[in-house]
Formats: sequence, C-alpha cells, structure tokens
Amino acid sequence: MNTQEIINLFEDALEIEQNSLSESTNLSDIPEYDSMAKLSLIILSDDEFGKKLSGEQIRDFKTVGDIVKFLSAD
Amino acid sequence: MKRTFISGASKGIGFALARRLSDEGQNLLLQASSDEGIDRLKDQFGAKGHLFWKSDFTNPSSITNELEGLLRDFGTLDGFVHCVGIRSRRPLSLFQLEGMQAVMNANVVSFVETMRIITKRGYFNPGLSVIGISSISAHVGSPGVTAYAASKAALESSIRCLAAELFKKSIRVNGLVCGQVNTEAYHELMSSKESEADPVLQRQYMGLLEVDQIVDAICYLLGGSSSQMNGTMFPAHAGFLS
Repeated sequence: MNTQEIINLFEDALEIEQNSLSESTNLSDIPEYDSMAKLSLIILSDDEFGKKLSGEQIRDFKTVGDIVKFLSAD
Repeated sequence: MKRTFISGASKGIGFALARRLSDEGQNLLLQASSDEGIDRLKDQFGAKGHLFWKSDFTNPSSITNELEGLLRDFGTLDGFVHCVGIRSRRPLSLFQLEGMQAVMNANVVSFVETMRIITKRGYFNPGLSVIGISSISAHVGSPGVTAYAASKAALESSIRCLAAELFKKSIRVNGLVCGQVNTEAYHELMSSKESEADPVLQRQYMGLLEVDQIVDAICYLLGGSSSQMNGTMFPAHAGFLS
C-alpha cells in the first residue's frame, strides 16, 4: 500500500473527505481525531497491517506522516 | 467433595477462582480455549486431579458435542461459573459481523448451551449454583463497546430467565456485575488505550477492584450463605453504578 492509499484509509476511518489530509498535516489540527478515531486507528492497524499499536505509540504520533511511517514500515 | 465447572479458567478471574476452589479441596472441570491456556492450568493444577478441557467457546457446537461426555467422567456438578468473556472495542464504522457473532457466542450463547446440558437430570446435584460474570458495560453505554455491552446485557437477561425457569429443580442462577478489575486483560486494555488515564475509574470511585475481591463475591454466591438469592445481579463495581 502506498502513502496516498494509507492516508485515504485513515481518512475513511475518520469519516472525512478523501484527499483532505497530507503527510505534513498535524494531528492536532484535525477536529475528527478524537478518542474514537484513535480507537479506529488501532483497529485499522491490526486489521489491515497486522500491527499492534499501543496507546503510547499513538500518543507519540504528531503528524499524519508519523502514522503513515508506522503503518508502512516492514 | 464439591464439583465445579469453570469456563475461562486459564486467566484472570477464572484462574484465581480455580486456585481458591482447588485450595478448598473442590474437584474442578477447567475450560480454556487455547493450548497455552491448558498448559498454564496443567502447570498450576496438574497434580490436583482436576479435569482440563480445551474448547473454543466462540463456536458453541464444541459444547454440544463434548460436554456431556466430559460430565459423565467428571460427575454431578455443584457449581458452574461462566468466566469466559471476549472484550471487544470497535467503533461502528469498523463493525464486523463475524466479530460480533464471536463475542455473542463466547459471552452468552455458550453460557446458555452449557446450561442446557448441565441441567439435564443426572449431571447436577440439588442446590447447583450458577454464576455468570457480567459487566458494568451492560448498564452504562460507552462508545466502541457495542458488541461487548450487548453480550453482557444478553447474559444478564438469560440469567434472570433461567433463574425463574430452573428454581424448581433446586438450581440457582445469579450474575456478578463487575467494574474494572485488576487483571492481565485490564492491563492489556489500558496499554492499547489512547489516553493514559482510565475514564472508568473516575466513576468507579472506590478504585480498581482486585481479583480476590471478585473471587470472594463468587464464593458467596456459590455457597449456602446465598441460598435465597436467585436471578440477582450482584454488584461488584466499586461504586460505578451508584
């Protein structure tokens, strides 16, 4: 999955318009990025990428790019 | 010697209960869903003469096919405690039909199917006491726990109906409404949570419950001291629902 596809998946999970986010978008600037969105991210990471995402890792994410980097890493 | 069946015995409340009842000299039928769980039970109780049963309660047909045979070897039951419980957190947008079915099967359908079998004549002693482990989630809504909360509410309803149906056979059925309990599952849950503080504990103002406190409550419901209690939801939520 390439960077844009991952971002689109993240947008889907947040139920926000496609292509409205970029790697440089700060998570704190996304009003929809609330506790339920973070739960969605945990489940997405597990379902789609087979990766367990901890609460601590989530708290370390600052930008959309941080999430993309985590999900696309081998 | 009393005989008790504990489902979900390899972890958390089930494991602590097995240890307590084993220490009291009871004979136990202990269910776990994985090889790892059965190994843990054998390590702890291998020399005690208990019976171990690997069965996946997300597929209740294993209960239908295997439990009667096990009970013929094990003997008539005095107690059954349903500790199996899949904890599920998933927003509606990521709802999965199979996931919901697995939660319902493990948390409630397996309980009812087990009750169908163990309450047949010849498999229980008069005074059989049954306890289902429920949750505050059955009573207060919170986002993301629809499947789990629905399963626990269904469990409570089934307990009330079965209590009314089975009392003529001298069988009591009660539930235990648990708040947050200090188990491995709780710590796993907290490590995957997005916030460091547990919002439940703000409302559970008497603090996190210890497993032994829950085991004390189960032992009360199993024993003769609670002989007039039937179809109740015994509170073990440290103030959460007050």
